Amino acid sequence: MMREKLADRLVPALLAIGAVLTAIDVVWAFTVAPLVQGARLSEPAIIAGQVVTTKLLFSQKIFYLHVPVAVASFATMTAAAFFAARFLITRDRAHDRASRTAMQVTLVFIIATMVSGDLWTRFEWGVWWVWEPRLTTYFILMLLVIGYFILRNALDDPERSARFGAVFCIIAFIDAPISFLITRLVPSSVHPVVFRTDSGLPPAMLIPFLLGLFGMCMIAFGLYRYALRVNTAADEVEELKERLEELDASAQRAAADEALERLQARAAALVTPGSAVPVALDPSASDPATSAASPVPDDGVDVSYDAPVSNDAVAVGPATRPAVAFTGDAPLAPSKED
Amino acid sequence: MDPILSEVYSTVLPAAPYVLAAYVGILLVLFAFVFSLWRKSKRTEADIDALRRALEERERNAGK
Repeated sequence: MMREKLADRLVPALLAIGAVLTAIDVVWAFTVAPLVQGARLSEPAIIAGQVVTTKLLFSQKIFYLHVPVAVASFATMTAAAFFAARFLITRDRAHDRASRTAMQVTLVFIIATMVSGDLWTRFEWGVWWVWEPRLTTYFILMLLVIGYFILRNALDDPERSARFGAVFCIIAFIDAPISFLITRLVPSSVHPVVFRTDSGLPPAMLIPFLLGLFGMCMIAFGLYRYALRVNTAADEVEELKERLEELDASAQRAAADEALERLQARAAALVTPGSAVPVALDPSASDPATSAASPVPDDGVDVSYDAPVSNDAVAVGPATRPAVAFTGDAPLAPSKED
Repeated sequence: MDPILSEVYSTVLPAAPYVLAAYVGILLVLFAFVFSLWRKSKRTEADIDALRRALEERERNAGK
Protein backbone atom coordinates (compact mmCIF):
# COMPACT_ATOMS: atom_id res chain seq x y z
CA MET A 1 0.00 0.00 0.00
CA MET A 2 2.84 2.36 0.89
CA ARG A 3 4.54 1.45 -2.37
CA GLU A 4 1.36 2.24 -4.28
CA LYS A 5 1.07 5.64 -2.63
CA LEU A 6 4.71 6.40 -3.34
CA ALA A 7 4.24 5.44 -6.99
CA ASP A 8 1.18 7.70 -7.22
CA ARG A 9 3.13 10.58 -5.69
CA LEU A 10 5.90 10.03 -8.23
CA VAL A 11 3.53 10.19 -11.21
CA PRO A 12 3.67 13.97 -11.82
CA ALA A 13 7.46 14.00 -11.39
CA LEU A 14 7.88 11.02 -13.72
CA LEU A 15 5.63 12.57 -16.35
CA ALA A 16 7.51 15.87 -16.10
CA ILE A 17 10.97 14.23 -16.30
CA GLY A 18 9.79 12.01 -19.15
CA ALA A 19 8.44 15.01 -21.04
CA VAL A 20 11.71 16.92 -20.52
CA LEU A 21 13.84 13.99 -21.68
CA THR A 22 11.62 13.52 -24.74
CA ALA A 23 11.81 17.23 -25.52
CA ILE A 24 15.63 17.09 -25.32
CA ASP A 25 15.54 14.04 -27.58
CA VAL A 26 13.44 15.87 -30.18
CA VAL A 27 15.52 19.06 -30.10
CA TRP A 28 18.78 17.08 -30.25
CA ALA A 29 17.48 14.93 -33.10
CA PHE A 30 16.77 17.99 -35.24
CA THR A 31 19.88 19.99 -34.36
CA VAL A 32 22.92 17.98 -33.28
CA ALA A 33 22.17 14.50 -34.64
CA PRO A 34 23.57 14.11 -38.14
CA LEU A 35 21.48 13.13 -41.13
CA VAL A 36 22.00 9.53 -42.20
CA GLN A 37 23.18 8.65 -45.67
CA GLY A 38 20.85 7.45 -48.37
CA ALA A 39 21.25 6.74 -52.08
CA ARG A 40 24.61 7.32 -53.79
CA LEU A 41 25.17 10.68 -55.52
CA SER A 42 26.04 10.97 -59.19
CA GLU A 43 29.34 12.55 -58.11
CA PRO A 44 30.89 13.26 -54.65
CA ALA A 45 30.45 16.70 -53.09
CA ILE A 46 32.38 18.48 -50.37
CA ILE A 47 30.19 20.00 -47.64
CA ALA A 48 31.83 21.77 -44.67
CA GLY A 49 35.13 20.12 -45.51
CA GLN A 50 33.59 16.62 -45.58
CA VAL A 51 33.33 14.47 -48.68
CA VAL A 52 29.69 13.51 -49.19
CA THR A 53 28.97 10.66 -51.57
CA THR A 54 25.30 9.95 -50.75
CA LYS A 55 22.01 11.78 -50.36
CA LEU A 56 21.06 12.74 -46.82
CA LEU A 57 17.89 11.24 -45.39
CA PHE A 58 15.69 13.45 -43.26
CA SER A 59 12.94 10.86 -42.87
CA GLN A 60 15.20 8.85 -40.52
CA LYS A 61 14.51 11.49 -37.86
CA ILE A 62 11.29 9.61 -37.14
CA PHE A 63 13.48 6.94 -35.54
CA TYR A 64 14.21 9.10 -32.47
CA LEU A 65 10.61 8.99 -31.27
CA HIS A 66 9.15 6.05 -33.18
CA VAL A 67 11.44 3.44 -31.62
CA PRO A 68 11.11 4.68 -27.99
CA VAL A 69 7.31 4.63 -28.34
CA ALA A 70 7.43 1.10 -29.77
CA VAL A 71 9.71 -0.08 -26.93
CA ALA A 72 7.33 1.50 -24.40
CA SER A 73 4.46 -0.47 -25.97
CA PHE A 74 6.43 -3.72 -25.49
CA ALA A 75 7.21 -2.75 -21.89
CA THR A 76 3.58 -2.04 -21.02
CA MET A 77 2.48 -5.25 -22.76
CA THR A 78 4.95 -7.17 -20.61
CA ALA A 79 3.50 -5.52 -17.50
CA ALA A 80 -0.03 -6.41 -18.64
CA ALA A 81 0.91 -10.08 -19.07
CA PHE A 82 2.71 -10.09 -15.70
CA PHE A 83 -0.36 -8.76 -13.89
CA ALA A 84 -2.64 -11.11 -15.84
CA ALA A 85 -0.56 -14.06 -14.63
CA ARG A 86 -0.64 -12.74 -11.07
CA PHE A 87 -4.42 -12.39 -11.30
CA LEU A 88 -4.79 -16.00 -12.42
CA ILE A 89 -2.59 -17.13 -9.52
CA THR A 90 -4.07 -14.97 -6.75
CA ARG A 91 -7.57 -14.13 -8.11
CA ASP A 92 -7.00 -10.65 -6.72
CA ARG A 93 -9.12 -8.22 -8.76
CA ALA A 94 -6.53 -5.47 -8.23
CA HIS A 95 -4.14 -7.40 -10.49
CA ASP A 96 -6.83 -7.73 -13.13
CA ARG A 97 -7.37 -3.97 -13.00
CA ALA A 98 -3.62 -3.39 -13.33
CA SER A 99 -3.45 -5.76 -16.32
CA ARG A 100 -6.44 -4.10 -18.01
CA THR A 101 -4.93 -0.66 -17.47
CA ALA A 102 -1.55 -1.73 -18.84
CA MET A 103 -3.34 -3.09 -21.92
CA GLN A 104 -5.03 0.31 -22.42
CA VAL A 105 -1.65 2.06 -22.30
CA THR A 106 -0.22 -0.61 -24.62
CA LEU A 107 -2.93 0.09 -27.18
CA VAL A 108 -2.24 3.83 -27.04
CA PHE A 109 1.49 3.31 -27.63
CA ILE A 110 0.86 0.78 -30.39
CA ILE A 111 -1.37 3.28 -32.20
CA ALA A 112 1.29 6.00 -31.80
CA THR A 113 3.93 3.62 -33.20
CA MET A 114 1.70 2.67 -36.11
CA VAL A 115 0.98 6.31 -36.99
CA SER A 116 4.65 7.32 -37.07
CA GLY A 117 5.78 4.14 -38.81
CA ASP A 118 3.14 4.41 -41.51
CA LEU A 119 4.13 7.99 -42.28
CA TRP A 120 7.73 6.85 -42.77
CA THR A 121 6.58 3.98 -45.01
CA ARG A 122 4.41 6.34 -47.04
CA PHE A 123 7.29 8.73 -47.71
CA GLU A 124 10.07 6.19 -48.31
CA TRP A 125 8.15 3.59 -50.28
CA GLY A 126 5.16 5.54 -51.51
CA VAL A 127 2.70 3.09 -49.91
CA TRP A 128 0.88 3.05 -46.60
CA TRP A 129 1.47 -0.58 -45.80
CA VAL A 130 3.88 -3.40 -46.60
CA TRP A 131 3.63 -6.94 -45.29
CA GLU A 132 7.15 -6.84 -43.91
CA PRO A 133 7.88 -9.23 -40.96
CA ARG A 134 8.14 -6.55 -38.23
CA LEU A 135 5.11 -4.64 -39.51
CA THR A 136 3.05 -7.82 -39.82
CA THR A 137 3.85 -9.16 -36.34
CA TYR A 138 3.27 -5.73 -34.81
CA PHE A 139 -0.02 -5.40 -36.68
CA ILE A 140 -1.06 -8.79 -35.27
CA LEU A 141 -0.13 -7.52 -31.80
CA MET A 142 -2.37 -4.51 -32.30
CA LEU A 143 -5.26 -6.73 -33.41
CA LEU A 144 -4.75 -8.96 -30.39
CA VAL A 145 -4.85 -5.99 -28.02
CA ILE A 146 -8.03 -4.70 -29.69
CA GLY A 147 -9.44 -8.24 -29.49
CA TYR A 148 -8.70 -8.26 -25.76
CA PHE A 149 -10.99 -5.29 -25.19
CA ILE A 150 -13.69 -6.71 -27.48
CA LEU A 151 -13.58 -9.97 -25.51
CA ARG A 152 -13.82 -8.18 -22.17
CA ASN A 153 -16.71 -6.02 -23.28
CA ALA A 154 -18.56 -9.04 -24.68
CA LEU A 155 -18.67 -10.75 -21.28
CA ASP A 156 -21.14 -9.40 -18.74
CA ASP A 157 -19.98 -11.41 -15.76
CA PRO A 158 -17.01 -9.50 -14.27
CA GLU A 159 -15.40 -12.67 -12.95
CA ARG A 160 -15.49 -14.42 -16.33
CA SER A 161 -14.43 -11.24 -18.10
CA ALA A 162 -11.38 -10.95 -15.84
CA ARG A 163 -10.44 -14.63 -16.13
CA PHE A 164 -10.86 -14.87 -19.90
CA GLY A 165 -9.17 -11.49 -20.35
CA ALA A 166 -6.15 -12.59 -18.32
CA VAL A 167 -5.75 -15.78 -20.34
CA PHE A 168 -6.16 -13.88 -23.61
CA CYS A 169 -3.64 -11.25 -22.48
CA ILE A 170 -1.00 -13.90 -21.77
CA ILE A 171 -1.62 -15.54 -25.15
CA ALA A 172 -1.44 -12.14 -26.90
CA PHE A 173 1.82 -11.39 -25.12
CA ILE A 174 3.49 -14.29 -26.96
CA ASP A 175 3.48 -12.06 -30.05
CA ALA A 176 5.40 -9.26 -28.31
CA PRO A 177 8.82 -10.99 -28.08
CA ILE A 178 8.24 -12.43 -31.55
CA SER A 179 7.66 -8.94 -32.92
CA PHE A 180 10.63 -7.58 -30.98
CA LEU A 181 13.03 -10.31 -32.13
CA ILE A 182 11.73 -10.70 -35.67
CA THR A 183 14.48 -8.43 -37.04
CA ARG A 184 16.98 -10.98 -35.75
CA LEU A 185 14.98 -14.04 -36.79
CA VAL A 186 14.07 -12.70 -40.25
CA PRO A 187 16.60 -10.00 -41.17
CA SER A 188 14.96 -7.14 -43.01
CA SER A 189 16.51 -4.07 -44.54
CA VAL A 190 13.70 -1.87 -43.24
CA HIS A 191 14.05 -2.47 -39.51
CA PRO A 192 17.67 -2.69 -38.40
CA VAL A 193 18.60 -4.47 -35.18
CA VAL A 194 18.86 -1.45 -32.90
CA PHE A 195 19.47 -3.15 -29.56
CA ARG A 196 22.92 -4.68 -29.85
CA THR A 197 26.28 -3.96 -28.28
CA ASP A 198 27.64 -2.44 -31.50
CA SER A 199 24.57 -0.51 -32.64
CA GLY A 200 26.74 1.52 -35.00
CA LEU A 201 25.16 4.73 -33.78
CA PRO A 202 27.59 7.57 -33.11
CA PRO A 203 27.16 9.30 -29.72
CA ALA A 204 25.41 12.23 -31.40
CA MET A 205 22.64 9.81 -32.44
CA LEU A 206 22.77 7.31 -29.58
CA ILE A 207 22.42 9.87 -26.76
CA PRO A 208 19.18 11.47 -28.01
CA PHE A 209 17.80 8.04 -28.78
CA LEU A 210 18.50 6.82 -25.23
CA LEU A 211 17.08 10.03 -23.76
CA GLY A 212 13.92 9.50 -25.79
CA LEU A 213 13.79 5.85 -24.74
CA PHE A 214 14.00 6.60 -21.02
CA GLY A 215 11.68 9.59 -21.39
CA MET A 216 9.02 7.59 -23.18
CA CYS A 217 9.25 4.72 -20.68
CA MET A 218 8.75 7.22 -17.85
CA ILE A 219 5.77 8.73 -19.65
CA ALA A 220 4.34 5.24 -20.18
CA PHE A 221 4.72 4.43 -16.48
CA GLY A 222 3.23 7.78 -15.45
CA LEU A 223 0.26 7.28 -17.78
CA TYR A 224 -0.21 3.76 -16.49
CA ARG A 225 -0.35 4.96 -12.89
CA TYR A 226 -2.74 7.76 -13.76
CA ALA A 227 -4.98 5.42 -15.76
CA LEU A 228 -4.87 2.91 -12.90
CA ARG A 229 -6.08 5.54 -10.47
CA VAL A 230 -8.93 6.49 -12.79
CA ASN A 231 -9.88 2.85 -13.38
CA THR A 232 -9.81 2.16 -9.64
CA ALA A 233 -12.24 5.04 -9.13
CA ALA A 234 -14.44 3.74 -11.97
CA ASP A 235 -14.52 0.30 -10.35
CA GLU A 236 -15.48 1.97 -7.08
CA VAL A 237 -18.42 3.62 -8.86
CA GLU A 238 -19.60 0.21 -10.06
CA GLU A 239 -19.25 -1.19 -6.56
CA LEU A 240 -21.23 1.68 -5.04
CA LYS A 241 -23.95 1.22 -7.66
CA GLU A 242 -24.21 -2.46 -6.79
CA ARG A 243 -24.45 -1.67 -3.07
CA LEU A 244 -27.18 0.86 -3.77
CA GLU A 245 -29.10 -1.64 -5.86
CA GLU A 246 -28.77 -4.22 -3.08
CA LEU A 247 -30.03 -1.71 -0.52
CA ASP A 248 -32.98 -0.80 -2.72
CA ALA A 249 -33.80 -4.44 -3.34
CA SER A 250 -33.68 -5.31 0.37
CA ALA A 251 -35.85 -2.27 1.16
CA GLN A 252 -38.39 -3.45 -1.42
CA ARG A 253 -38.32 -6.96 0.02
CA ALA A 254 -38.87 -5.59 3.53
CA ALA A 255 -41.83 -3.49 2.31
CA ALA A 256 -43.34 -6.50 0.56
CA ASP A 257 -42.89 -8.67 3.67
CA GLU A 258 -44.49 -5.98 5.79
CA ALA A 259 -47.46 -5.76 3.43
CA LEU A 260 -47.86 -9.52 3.50
CA GLU A 261 -47.76 -9.57 7.29
CA ARG A 262 -50.44 -6.86 7.42
CA LEU A 263 -52.57 -8.86 5.04
CA GLN A 264 -52.14 -12.04 7.04
CA ALA A 265 -52.96 -10.20 10.28
CA ARG A 266 -56.19 -8.88 8.76
CA ALA A 267 -57.06 -12.27 7.44
CA ALA A 268 -56.45 -13.79 10.85
CA ALA A 269 -58.71 -11.13 12.37
CA LEU A 270 -61.43 -12.05 9.93
CA VAL A 271 -61.50 -15.70 10.93
CA THR A 272 -62.00 -14.89 14.61
CA PRO A 273 -65.66 -14.96 15.86
CA GLY A 274 -67.53 -11.75 15.41
CA SER A 275 -65.23 -10.49 12.76
CA ALA A 276 -65.38 -10.56 8.98
CA VAL A 277 -65.32 -13.42 6.52
CA PRO A 278 -62.63 -16.08 6.80
CA VAL A 279 -60.28 -15.72 3.94
CA ALA A 280 -58.43 -18.73 2.75
CA LEU A 281 -55.00 -17.55 3.65
CA ASP A 282 -54.83 -20.49 6.00
CA PRO A 283 -55.75 -23.90 4.56
CA SER A 284 -57.93 -24.56 7.61
CA ALA A 285 -60.09 -21.62 6.62
CA SER A 286 -61.52 -23.59 3.73
CA ASP A 287 -62.27 -26.57 5.94
CA PRO A 288 -66.08 -26.93 6.06
CA ALA A 289 -65.99 -27.91 9.72
CA THR A 290 -64.06 -24.85 10.67
CA SER A 291 -65.99 -22.62 8.40
CA ALA A 292 -69.32 -23.90 9.73
CA ALA A 293 -68.31 -22.73 13.17
CA SER A 294 -67.60 -19.32 11.85
CA PRO A 295 -70.63 -17.11 11.50
CA VAL A 296 -70.61 -15.27 8.25
CA PRO A 297 -71.92 -11.77 8.37
CA ASP A 298 -73.74 -10.31 5.42
CA ASP A 299 -71.84 -7.10 5.39
CA GLY A 300 -69.30 -8.36 2.89
CA VAL A 301 -65.61 -8.51 3.11
CA ASP A 302 -63.05 -5.81 3.34
CA VAL A 303 -59.69 -7.22 2.54
CA SER A 304 -57.39 -4.52 1.47
CA TYR A 305 -54.63 -5.60 -0.82
CA ASP A 306 -52.76 -3.88 -3.57
CA ALA A 307 -53.69 -6.49 -6.14
CA PRO A 308 -56.61 -5.51 -8.36
CA VAL A 309 -59.92 -7.15 -7.58
CA SER A 310 -62.04 -8.07 -10.53
CA ASN A 311 -65.68 -9.09 -10.75
CA ASP A 312 -64.96 -12.36 -12.50
CA ALA A 313 -62.44 -13.51 -9.99
CA VAL A 314 -62.23 -16.94 -8.45
CA ALA A 315 -64.60 -17.52 -5.53
CA VAL A 316 -63.04 -18.76 -2.34
CA GLY A 317 -64.92 -20.66 0.35
CA PRO A 318 -68.43 -22.20 0.52
CA ALA A 319 -71.41 -20.82 -1.35
CA THR A 320 -72.83 -19.36 1.88
CA ARG A 321 -69.93 -16.98 2.10
CA PRO A 322 -69.49 -14.04 -0.12
CA ALA A 323 -66.88 -14.52 -2.75
CA VAL A 324 -63.54 -12.98 -2.00
CA ALA A 325 -61.50 -12.35 -5.06
CA PHE A 326 -57.79 -12.13 -5.47
CA THR A 327 -56.31 -11.76 -8.85
CA GLY A 328 -52.86 -10.68 -7.82
CA ASP A 329 -49.87 -12.88 -7.27
CA ALA A 330 -50.42 -13.02 -3.55
CA PRO A 331 -49.41 -16.30 -1.90
CA LEU A 332 -52.96 -17.33 -1.09
CA ALA A 333 -53.96 -20.86 -0.31
CA PRO A 334 -55.50 -22.71 -3.25
CA SER A 335 -59.25 -22.35 -3.51
CA LYS A 336 -61.30 -25.40 -2.84
CA GLU A 337 -64.85 -25.97 -3.87
CA ASP A 338 -66.93 -27.34 -0.93
CA MET B 1 21.75 26.40 -55.59
CA ASP B 2 24.56 24.06 -56.52
CA PRO B 3 23.04 21.11 -58.40
CA ILE B 4 25.11 18.66 -56.36
CA LEU B 5 23.94 20.22 -53.11
CA SER B 6 20.37 20.11 -54.41
CA GLU B 7 20.79 16.41 -55.00
CA VAL B 8 22.34 15.88 -51.55
CA TYR B 9 19.40 17.56 -49.83
CA SER B 10 16.77 16.44 -52.34
CA THR B 11 14.91 14.25 -49.81
CA VAL B 12 15.04 16.65 -46.88
CA LEU B 13 12.26 19.07 -47.75
CA PRO B 14 9.83 16.50 -49.20
CA ALA B 15 10.28 14.35 -46.05
CA ALA B 16 9.73 17.25 -43.65
CA PRO B 17 5.89 17.13 -43.62
CA TYR B 18 5.93 13.37 -42.96
CA VAL B 19 8.48 13.66 -40.16
CA LEU B 20 6.58 16.54 -38.62
CA ALA B 21 3.28 14.66 -38.96
CA ALA B 22 4.83 11.59 -37.30
CA TYR B 23 5.99 13.61 -34.27
CA VAL B 24 2.72 15.49 -34.03
CA GLY B 25 0.78 12.25 -34.48
CA ILE B 26 2.56 10.56 -31.59
CA LEU B 27 2.03 13.54 -29.32
CA LEU B 28 -1.61 13.85 -30.38
CA VAL B 29 -2.32 10.21 -29.58
CA LEU B 30 -0.73 10.60 -26.14
CA PHE B 31 -2.56 13.86 -25.44
CA ALA B 32 -5.85 12.34 -26.57
CA PHE B 33 -5.34 9.50 -24.10
CA VAL B 34 -4.49 11.91 -21.28
CA PHE B 35 -7.53 14.02 -22.14
CA SER B 36 -9.83 10.99 -22.14
CA LEU B 37 -8.41 9.92 -18.78
CA TRP B 38 -8.90 13.41 -17.39
CA ARG B 39 -12.54 13.48 -18.55
CA LYS B 40 -13.21 10.02 -17.18
CA SER B 41 -11.60 11.04 -13.91
CA LYS B 42 -13.85 14.11 -13.57
CA ARG B 43 -16.97 12.11 -14.39
CA THR B 44 -16.01 9.35 -11.99
CA GLU B 45 -15.32 11.76 -9.15
CA ALA B 46 -18.77 13.32 -9.59
CA ASP B 47 -20.37 9.85 -9.72
CA ILE B 48 -18.58 8.71 -6.57
CA ASP B 49 -19.71 11.80 -4.66
CA ALA B 50 -23.33 11.37 -5.75
CA LEU B 51 -23.36 7.64 -5.06
CA ARG B 52 -21.74 8.04 -1.64
CA ARG B 53 -24.36 10.61 -0.68
CA ALA B 54 -27.17 8.37 -1.91
CA LEU B 55 -25.72 5.38 -0.09
CA GLU B 56 -25.35 7.27 3.18
CA GLU B 57 -28.93 8.49 2.87
CA ARG B 58 -30.22 4.98 2.23
CA GLU B 59 -28.24 3.54 5.12
CA ARG B 60 -29.50 6.31 7.41
CA ASN B 61 -33.08 5.61 6.36
CA ALA B 62 -32.58 1.89 6.80
CA GLY B 63 -31.24 2.47 10.33
CA LYS B 64 -34.34 4.38 11.41
